[in-house]
Amino acid sequence: MTIVYLDNAASTPMDPRVIEAMLECCGPGGDFANPSATGHEPGRRARARVEQARAEVAHLVGAAPEQVVWTSGATEADNLALFGAARFHRAKGRHIVTSRTEHPAVLDSCRQLEREGFEVTYLKPGPDGIVQPSQVEEALRSDTIIVSLMHVQNEIGVVHDVGTIGRICRARGVLFHVDAAQGAGKLPIDVGRDCIDLLAVTAHKVHGPKGVGALCVRREPRLGLVPLLFGGGQERGLRSGTLPTHQIAAMGRTFAIAAEEMSLDAGRISGLRDWLWRALSAVPGVLLNGHPTQRVAGILSVTIDGVEGETLLHALGDLAVSSGSACATTHAEPSYVLRALGRSDRLAQSTLRLSLGRFTTREEVELAARRITTEVTRLRSIAPAAAPMPAA
Amino acid sequence: MSDPRYSAAVCRRVLELPGSAPLPADAVVAAGAAGDVEHGARVELRFQVAEGRILRGQFRAFGCPHVIAAASWVTDRLRGKDRDALATWDWREAADALEVPPAKFGRLLTVQDAVRDAARNWPVTPGSTV
Repeated sequence: MTIVYLDNAASTPMDPRVIEAMLECCGPGGDFANPSATGHEPGRRARARVEQARAEVAHLVGAAPEQVVWTSGATEADNLALFGAARFHRAKGRHIVTSRTEHPAVLDSCRQLEREGFEVTYLKPGPDGIVQPSQVEEALRSDTIIVSLMHVQNEIGVVHDVGTIGRICRARGVLFHVDAAQGAGKLPIDVGRDCIDLLAVTAHKVHGPKGVGALCVRREPRLGLVPLLFGGGQERGLRSGTLPTHQIAAMGRTFAIAAEEMSLDAGRISGLRDWLWRALSAVPGVLLNGHPTQRVAGILSVTIDGVEGETLLHALGDLAVSSGSACATTHAEPSYVLRALGRSDRLAQSTLRLSLGRFTTREEVELAARRITTEVTRLRSIAPAAAPMPAA
Repeated sequence: MSDPRYSAAVCRRVLELPGSAPLPADAVVAAGAAGDVEHGARVELRFQVAEGRILRGQFRAFGCPHVIAAASWVTDRLRGKDRDALATWDWREAADALEVPPAKFGRLLTVQDAVRDAARNWPVTPGSTV
């Protein structure tokens, strides 16, 4: 059975050009050496690869290379940002502002910080899934030290106005952390222009490898962070551990390609997404989740009334789609994001996230629309109706 | 690759939906229902009854694949049975036949409730003492 992959918000296939860059750092004769071992030529070549990648990642987000700290992914970057900044600045204040629809990497970190004595305000997004800058401004207090808000919401794809929020935070002297796991490489973001002090990014959401990410940390003026990992003192002491040259080089290539092709990709993918939405919206009882236009190209979240989500997902065995955030699908509970938007438990469970990527084709999208329409019609045909079952 | 969460029997029933075809318009029917769509599972059953026994069944269901498969399965399993068999039918029979995981056992109670509701609604036929 051929599977149509529409779960690019969970992870993407690596771009062949990225695989090539990675392989150049793996085998004998390649740039595989420890980049900290600069006492010999292979180590210096590996270091050069790491620094090239650092510049490529920095370029995509408007940062200087020295702002980039390598991590194992966005989750670690989020943890380093929140724990590192909160613990360093705790004498200044203990209040943090975030939203109810953040990724668990942020929400669970905030819950841990609450156990450590911090107070967290969880902002409720509007029915369109967006937290407005005015909500952030109203939540700030004299003891607020950090605002943490995601750029692109991973389940429904809405985009936050991080520039306006960043300027509000900067004016109030509050640190601004942005989880850009779903946005970096897909939408323009600039840590300088948008007044972002801490930006978490990852490679695997934009056709790079899993297991590598970065935290961009404001340098001017210098922002204090307490590290999470201790050991070799790599990354200026902020993240100890041997740098994985092959993953970092691949992430650099990933972000360099994204910088070149972002607008091309976004235009093509949003065209496919719009076509898919038009096809699905022709089915009665199909609802769009999130703001209709303030959204990233690749994510379409639809609630389908009258079918049970687990059964629909099972029936669509030839489509790789998600019923919600991949990080949440091990839990049986309805999506907390969709519930925060006001969807009932039943509707939240009857939701599909279809996420498109660079390699998604028109044929795949057309097939997905046909399959979803067919299965929804079939499953609704056996669903209890308000009226008694008809006889033949 | 098959989905390990569901047995082959569950997969087949969800794919083919046996037992979902309507009964004849003039059928004498024992109908039962249980559950609530808002709570994630509802099962509606109709059994065509002739000479005190079930001739065939029809189901409608909203729920997870195990609920749908079990509702389909009882339309086969209870063919030829009488009212007493419905009144005492136990969900464990479907759980065993369909290899339903323990986490889903509670959902099968909805099917059992619908079957027993059909027993309560057994049609009264001329000359019957029921």
